[in-house]
Amino acid sequence: MAVRVNPRLIDDLARYGAQDVSKCYHCGNCSAVCPFSRAPHLFPRRSMRYLQLGLEARLRGSLEPWLCYYCGECTEQCPRGAEPGETMMSMRRWLTAQYDATGLSRLFYRSWRAELLALALVSVLTGAGFLAWGVLNGSLAVYDGPGAFLSSAVVHRFDWALAAALIVLLCANCARMWWFCVARAPGPPISPWSYLKQAWRLPFHFFTQARYRECERKRPWAVHLVLVLSYVSLFTLIVFFAQEMQAGPAIDWRVHGLGYAATLGLVGATLWAVRARRAAQEAQYRRSHESDWIFLLLLLAVAASGVVQHALHRAGFLPAANLAYLLHLMLAVPMLLVEVPFSKWAHMVYRPLAMYFEALLADAHASAERREAPGVARAA
Amino acid sequence: MPAARSSPVRTGVFLCGVDEALSDADLRLLASHANELPGVVLVRREGAHPDPQALAGEIRAQGLEAVVLAGQTPGYLKPAFTRAMALAERDPDHVRLAPFREHGAPHERFLERALAEITCAVHGVPYGLVARRADVPVHPTTLVIGGGVAGIQAALEIAEGGQRVVLVERSPSLGGHMAMFDKTFPTLDCAACILTPKMVAVGQHKQIELLTCSEVVEVMGEPGAFQARILKRARRVDLQACVACEACSDFCPVSVPSEFDAGITTRKAIYRSFPQAVPAAFLVDAEACTWLQSGGKRCGACLKKCSKNAIHLDAVDETVEIEVGNIIVATGYGVLDARRIARYGYGRYPNVLTALEFERLTNASGPTGGRIVQKTRRTNKRTKAEEWVFEADGPAPKRLAIVHCVGSRDEHFNRYCSRVCCMYSLKFAHLVREKLPGAECFEFYIDMRAFGKGYEAFFERIREEGVHVVRGRSAQVTEQHGQMVVKGEDIVGDRLLEYPVDMVLLAVGLEPALGAQPLGELLGITRDPDGWFHEADYNADPTGTDRPGIYVAGACQGPKDIPDTVAQASAVAARVLKTIASGVGGEDRAQISLDEVRVRARQLASRLADGKMAWQSGSIPA
Repeated sequence: MAVRVNPRLIDDLARYGAQDVSKCYHCGNCSAVCPFSRAPHLFPRRSMRYLQLGLEARLRGSLEPWLCYYCGECTEQCPRGAEPGETMMSMRRWLTAQYDATGLSRLFYRSWRAELLALALVSVLTGAGFLAWGVLNGSLAVYDGPGAFLSSAVVHRFDWALAAALIVLLCANCARMWWFCVARAPGPPISPWSYLKQAWRLPFHFFTQARYRECERKRPWAVHLVLVLSYVSLFTLIVFFAQEMQAGPAIDWRVHGLGYAATLGLVGATLWAVRARRAAQEAQYRRSHESDWIFLLLLLAVAASGVVQHALHRAGFLPAANLAYLLHLMLAVPMLLVEVPFSKWAHMVYRPLAMYFEALLADAHASAERREAPGVARAA
Repeated sequence: MPAARSSPVRTGVFLCGVDEALSDADLRLLASHANELPGVVLVRREGAHPDPQALAGEIRAQGLEAVVLAGQTPGYLKPAFTRAMALAERDPDHVRLAPFREHGAPHERFLERALAEITCAVHGVPYGLVARRADVPVHPTTLVIGGGVAGIQAALEIAEGGQRVVLVERSPSLGGHMAMFDKTFPTLDCAACILTPKMVAVGQHKQIELLTCSEVVEVMGEPGAFQARILKRARRVDLQACVACEACSDFCPVSVPSEFDAGITTRKAIYRSFPQAVPAAFLVDAEACTWLQSGGKRCGACLKKCSKNAIHLDAVDETVEIEVGNIIVATGYGVLDARRIARYGYGRYPNVLTALEFERLTNASGPTGGRIVQKTRRTNKRTKAEEWVFEADGPAPKRLAIVHCVGSRDEHFNRYCSRVCCMYSLKFAHLVREKLPGAECFEFYIDMRAFGKGYEAFFERIREEGVHVVRGRSAQVTEQHGQMVVKGEDIVGDRLLEYPVDMVLLAVGLEPALGAQPLGELLGITRDPDGWFHEADYNADPTGTDRPGIYVAGACQGPKDIPDTVAQASAVAARVLKTIASGVGGEDRAQISLDEVRVRARQLASRLADGKMAWQSGSIPA
């Protein structure tokens, strides 16, 4: 089979953060110490090889980067300082850009200015839209109910529309990922039954981050799990219980109890990550791409504006609360629209999906071997 | 021949590649010094990639007639400047170099040397000619530091050439690391059979004075006439009287790990390193001896047993001073402490061995008579402690792994390749397959460096013998249910290996010997960033050092195998014999002051310009 080589692949990946790939001399240390590396998915060395050789199609169709959780073991033991962990991280960025057909992801990853510009543009459009609606249909002095500046019913409808848009974009990306990694993968075909049988992996890995837990150090997993669960909780509250959340000034503990806990978890986990990246001690936080900082800071800003809005509302400063609400939307909407389909946040889908695909491929191989085995017995 | 000039040549000085070696203050000093030199109209820094077109414009604008490139190795930039001079229609021959590194600028006086070299380049005279010192008559005796194969070879060659040698060895016997080896690669000769006759020859040679248990503590003087002070540690056994009957050590109650057996066996406090030791006399380990440690109150068993009255436990160290003309440094190497790399489990698992330990194990004079066995657990009768020891009837390992590049080519340990490990590892594999035909042997390597004559054929041979050669350095040695497991990636086979083994051999890398730093300081010779002694010029003078009259031979200059070590030792011997035959010592550039250089450079330049001295190859000292 002919293999197309892209000699510029390694330079391309450098823009995504992988600076030291060419130092690798393939001793195989990294693959041997990696807690996740097992046949047939051996990494990071093999992935490093794809990069050095410029095997773009192979890299595009590989699941390995999503199976790596960057515990940093490989980077710490690398005799060459070739940063295998950071290379895998950069490959995840690159793959995110590959799965996105619009090319926006590629643009954002290669230029943080473009990403900031896109965020600002969406922010301004969101702000202008809600401001116009609020001025025309409500009053700044009313927070909730009839004549509210930002009526919860409208925001609710907007939330649903935004969620639908994100789902459509993400699904398109996932379909491309399936195409690269499963449909075009060499090997035996995958049965429809296998697709059903293994589907439990998607929610399981999404909600438990079980694989991350296999890293030698458990704390990053724990923090990440808190972040995921907090975010899922807040997302559920906002998308499904927007009206209950916005009512007030009395505190509805049925929704707000969970809301406070999740906010605490979200802010705590994000601050932990910021601190770790600033300290740059552990291998996985030593090198931060611009997209990592944009994501974390955006998350913090959204959380902070939400907290301020909530506090102002409960304290009775309604015009200020409305403005804070507007600001909150101006931060949250661009964050979701840019980060979820086009940037770092997309990994929340790709990771469980990769483990799902891994299981599908393993299933197909196992059943192919079962089919072959009786034949072998007959031949003998 | 240049014509006589009335005015100095308009010269531009370009400092290239100086950033790493010099601070900004030093650079300013260099620049201001260069500015004051006659004819210098331009001093500036030049980047790594000069553009000849732009340079030609500058040369024309400044009216430069000559260019001086000063820096660590400015020769890299010479083609660009030559082209620029041609483009500017100047004489391209007037691009002169002031290469600091080439003249072996010593670190502590780097700046002064650099200034001197720039001065000479601006005057257009070679530094080597200017800084030549009046020759000192050479003392015919040579000091050889180190009694390994390099020191032995150099000493023998010089002595055979009819000159006197003083050989100083820190340990109690000649032989060094080579005496510990079983076989040599790639010929599989018996190492002892090659070395022992040479050791005996050194011991018996009339022209060689052998000082064992001794160290050089001070060196004064200049090339051709050094004064060395040597500390002779008390042996406490009379060299002449002792007949090596072993009666003393049979009764000595103290046992300590044997240095010669790389710690896998024990020796007594009164001992001989190994039966073929030269000198053959026993000696007393003062650190271990009960009599000495108790101030003469306890033990003293050996005193009673010695029929020759050769033991003098109260002997003291003494210092001797000698005059020598040349000094040969042949101090060899050390090996990396495998405990530093925790993941290979050395020190944790009893059957993880270093290369030297395996050399002793497989050696016919080793603790098992050359049988390759696993360690067996035993209770020490005296201390009641559990210990793992080699016993001749121990179980033979069925599976062995040999791990290459332990601590070599690794940013965390030694960045360099240790050069010998690939080959000695292959030799180990051969010995295992030869002695234990049923055993499986795995070599885990990164790149197979079989570079020498016959090495590649040796590699092929080992492969044909059924050794599994796996590309991919193994990463870990662990234990699962009492079974050692080597984990690594097989890169060619594209699979992860978890290989159960009974024994792991670590091909530990070579490191500069522990004493290299103080010795370098007292001799005034520099070491490279890895700690090996600097040769004067990698290509043209690989045996010389910064200081004339002091030479390096063998692994103290960099990792080397035995053939290369012996070759370098012989080369050094030839150089020493040359200086003795010529009757004059070398020139000591380190001693000459900057002012003197300035005066002499001016004089030499004017003599050249006046035509009183012609450029002849013979006028430039080699």
